[in-house]
Amino acid sequence: MSVIGKRLVDQVKSTGWKSTIAQRLDDGFTRFTAGLSWNDVRGVLRGDPAPKPNPRVKPHTEAFWFHIRPTFYHEAVTTLYPTFRLGLLSAVFFTIEIITGIFLMIFYTPSPERAYTNMIDILTNVPFGSFMRDMHRLGAEAMVIVVTLHMVRTFTTGSYKKPRQFTWFTGVVLLVVTLFLSFSGYLLPWDQLSFWAVTIGTSMADAAPVFGPTVNLLLRGAPDIGAGGLLRFYLMHVVLFPLIGIIFVAVHYYKVVRWGISLPPEMEPIGEDNARKVPPDKRVNFLPDIATNEIMYAGIAFAVLAISCVTWYSAPLETHANPLATPNHTVAPWYFYWLQGLLKIPHIIPILPGSIATALDQFFANVLGLTPKVFWGVIVGPLVFVLLFAVPYIDPNPSRRYGDRKIMLAFGGVFAALILYLSLAGIPTGVPVTGFGYVGGTPPSEVAQEFMPDEGEGALMTIPFDQMIVGEHAVRPDANVPDAPKLSRVLAEVYHSMERRKAAPDPLGQILNPEATATVKITQIQPDLKQISININFTDVNGIAQQFTKYKFIHKESGRAH
Amino acid sequence: MIKKIITFRPSFTVRILAGLISFIAIIAACMVAGVADLTQALSTRDANFRARLIEEGARVYMDQCARCHGVEGKGIEGQGPSLSSSNFFNNRVKEVGWNSTLETYIAAVTKSGIPLKSSPMWEVTHPPFLERFGGPLREDQIDNVVRFVMNWKQSPIDSMDVIEAPKPGEAFAPLPTPVPLTPAQEEGRNLFLSNGCNACHAIRGVANGAIGPSLNRIYEDAMMWIASEEYKASQGQATTPEEYIRESIVNPQAFIVPECPQGACPAGVMPPNYADTIPPADLDKIIDYLATLGRPAGE
Ligand code: HEM
Repeated sequence: MSVIGKRLVDQVKSTGWKSTIAQRLDDGFTRFTAGLSWNDVRGVLRGDPAPKPNPRVKPHTEAFWFHIRPTFYHEAVTTLYPTFRLGLLSAVFFTIEIITGIFLMIFYTPSPERAYTNMIDILTNVPFGSFMRDMHRLGAEAMVIVVTLHMVRTFTTGSYKKPRQFTWFTGVVLLVVTLFLSFSGYLLPWDQLSFWAVTIGTSMADAAPVFGPTVNLLLRGAPDIGAGGLLRFYLMHVVLFPLIGIIFVAVHYYKVVRWGISLPPEMEPIGEDNARKVPPDKRVNFLPDIATNEIMYAGIAFAVLAISCVTWYSAPLETHANPLATPNHTVAPWYFYWLQGLLKIPHIIPILPGSIATALDQFFANVLGLTPKVFWGVIVGPLVFVLLFAVPYIDPNPSRRYGDRKIMLAFGGVFAALILYLSLAGIPTGVPVTGFGYVGGTPPSEVAQEFMPDEGEGALMTIPFDQMIVGEHAVRPDANVPDAPKLSRVLAEVYHSMERRKAAPDPLGQILNPEATATVKITQIQPDLKQISININFTDVNGIAQQFTKYKFIHKESGRAH
Repeated sequence: MIKKIITFRPSFTVRILAGLISFIAIIAACMVAGVADLTQALSTRDANFRARLIEEGARVYMDQCARCHGVEGKGIEGQGPSLSSSNFFNNRVKEVGWNSTLETYIAAVTKSGIPLKSSPMWEVTHPPFLERFGGPLREDQIDNVVRFVMNWKQSPIDSMDVIEAPKPGEAFAPLPTPVPLTPAQEEGRNLFLSNGCNACHAIRGVANGAIGPSLNRIYEDAMMWIASEEYKASQGQATTPEEYIRESIVNPQAFIVPECPQGACPAGVMPPNYADTIPPADLDKIIDYLATLGRPAGE
């Protein structure tokens, strides 16, 4: 008989077979949990105080998953402040993205011929498809916010200082990865929104001196985004960036094990780091305290996301990408608005008076071939990240206390304010009051864009089908088309929008002439299809009478009306 | 208050409860999404997207197809047949011996042009619209145009003015030529062909180029253009149809008609040097011939 068999027989002989089975099961269980027996786990679940010696630290030394989690934290960092759980939430969203992303991968082909059709299939033919897509999209945007806030908090609490400089460094890499993940995913639906946002994004790379065109070519695989570009973005989105992300999250997490979470600044003597020198009575063990805490926060985040996606959130899918037609008011994704804002800065040194600034621009353009766009968008933009990488090294102050770091905190505040300001400037409407960053066509085209945007929905398109009364309707404040309250309301809205543009010029100084009039014309194309057009009669800057026309086709079943 | 929030650390019970509630909420959200999808949501979204693709198709149709097939799909004399009549939906596929559905027939013709068998000589041959075949449209746009055309099937238009496509083998009635050609004009026609004008221009029964404007009724058209505002605003100086035709050949940039078979007529495509390459006597004969096309009887 083998040795193992003999041991089993001996055990049954000495303790009876019931106890032997229990004992053997418990052994297996202990091996599975890397050191916790069934009774230990029950103790954990019941919230019993840890016995001595504490078996609950064993998984941290014995097992893979727990070895990148610390055995204990200082009590002071287990409250909401100082972490606000933002690092954890970043990891939670990263995980959600991976899970929902794998689901979407099953139904998606990265080719211009198939991608858009696949998206429609996901939304119309795959159970849970739209739910998963909403989660993936909203989760990605939430992740950008959460990761940024996590950076703001580690900056504010001075956690980037010695010995955590490298933690900060890997963090900035993760921020870049997060942004690139979002950005590369943006293209994949292959609709007008994504196609043009990414075209704008990559053309920024193109403007960079020396290596710009090469980078652009490598990204797009051709001078314009097409099959090659889509495949490359797909591979970046599902292979390259997730891989870099996973590796750096692992390193980042390891650093948190190594150095612990930094204590609230006021608790430490200046220049010291005591996060790992925790007196036994201040220790909060990972198992079960931190673990249950984290599971709870992860659960809440997941639940909020899932509920958002079945209630108010629905990811947009516009019309098929069309390389030949740029929609009005194309924008980069919102987390790159600040870059678009940078691109709109008119001079290399904008604070100087106009003539000197222009002269300087001329000088730079002639001597270095540097235009303001290239300078701000392509050189200063990426420098922002270089600056972030450098933060631990340019701040020599050993103290983490808020009172001692007024300069750095002020600097951070100004930086954040600038980013917000530039983000506002990045959207087509520009910054309120100053009007910086406003881009707009002529007033009539803006009226049409407001009610009938090139992509997305405007009030003229959401009129219920049976209220789209065939005929030509003048826009009037008292419009009253029988049986069409919504149409009448929109006609009045168009009237007021025109009046606003007659009353005051836009930030570019364009104004609509006071006599301008407009009509909305509706024709029946097919029994369930109507054409709705807006015709604006106005006088242009040269005093010539013009008509501006824009139209859309609306199908009864398009689901736009509301 | 702030201190309370900052030092918040959920008790064990709170964690279990919050975790449990979250878990239930997640499951509930998934169930709501799943039940919605399996009952109504998928089919509603499907209907919405179908509808939106028809809308997209309508835009492509109006931009590309309406100028020959008409805004209502009734067809245009001499340009293209009806795509909205009952005959089109019920008989066309059988007539031309197409072995598949009408959808695939429409798609095939739109993409690559009309199969010879179903096409007697139109003065405008059907251009291939697919990008890959040199046309302006992507595959998805053609799919959408097919959806739009098929959307007429529910209520075909059968008024008197519908232009039906001729049945295969049955030629389109040739345009009446009011004056029999003189020998010089006959020669003009041959010169029209030997100089390669037919590569771009169509004349029913003679030539079927699809790049430049059709010359079926060039005399009538010339009279119309000479009287038009557009022509007066251009560099054109002709006062008679013959002068107009001559000008169009020797100085094609003087005036460019707006509509060609494949959309707006492009400037600079018609070679500018025919005055040098065609001997004056030949030129006169070509002009003499062309001026018979569409000339009212007795003029
Ligand atoms: C995917 C992105 C990220 C994940 C998953 C992540 C995760 C974490 C986690 C779990 C912690 C533990 C402490 C806490 O929860 O606050 C942490 C700490 C830290 N993270 Fe991140 N992080 C990410 C991005 C960043 C970024 C963008 C930065 C800064 C540029 C950063 C800098 C730091 C620093 C300096 C610490 C140490 C904080 C301390 O000890 O108090 N991390 N990170």
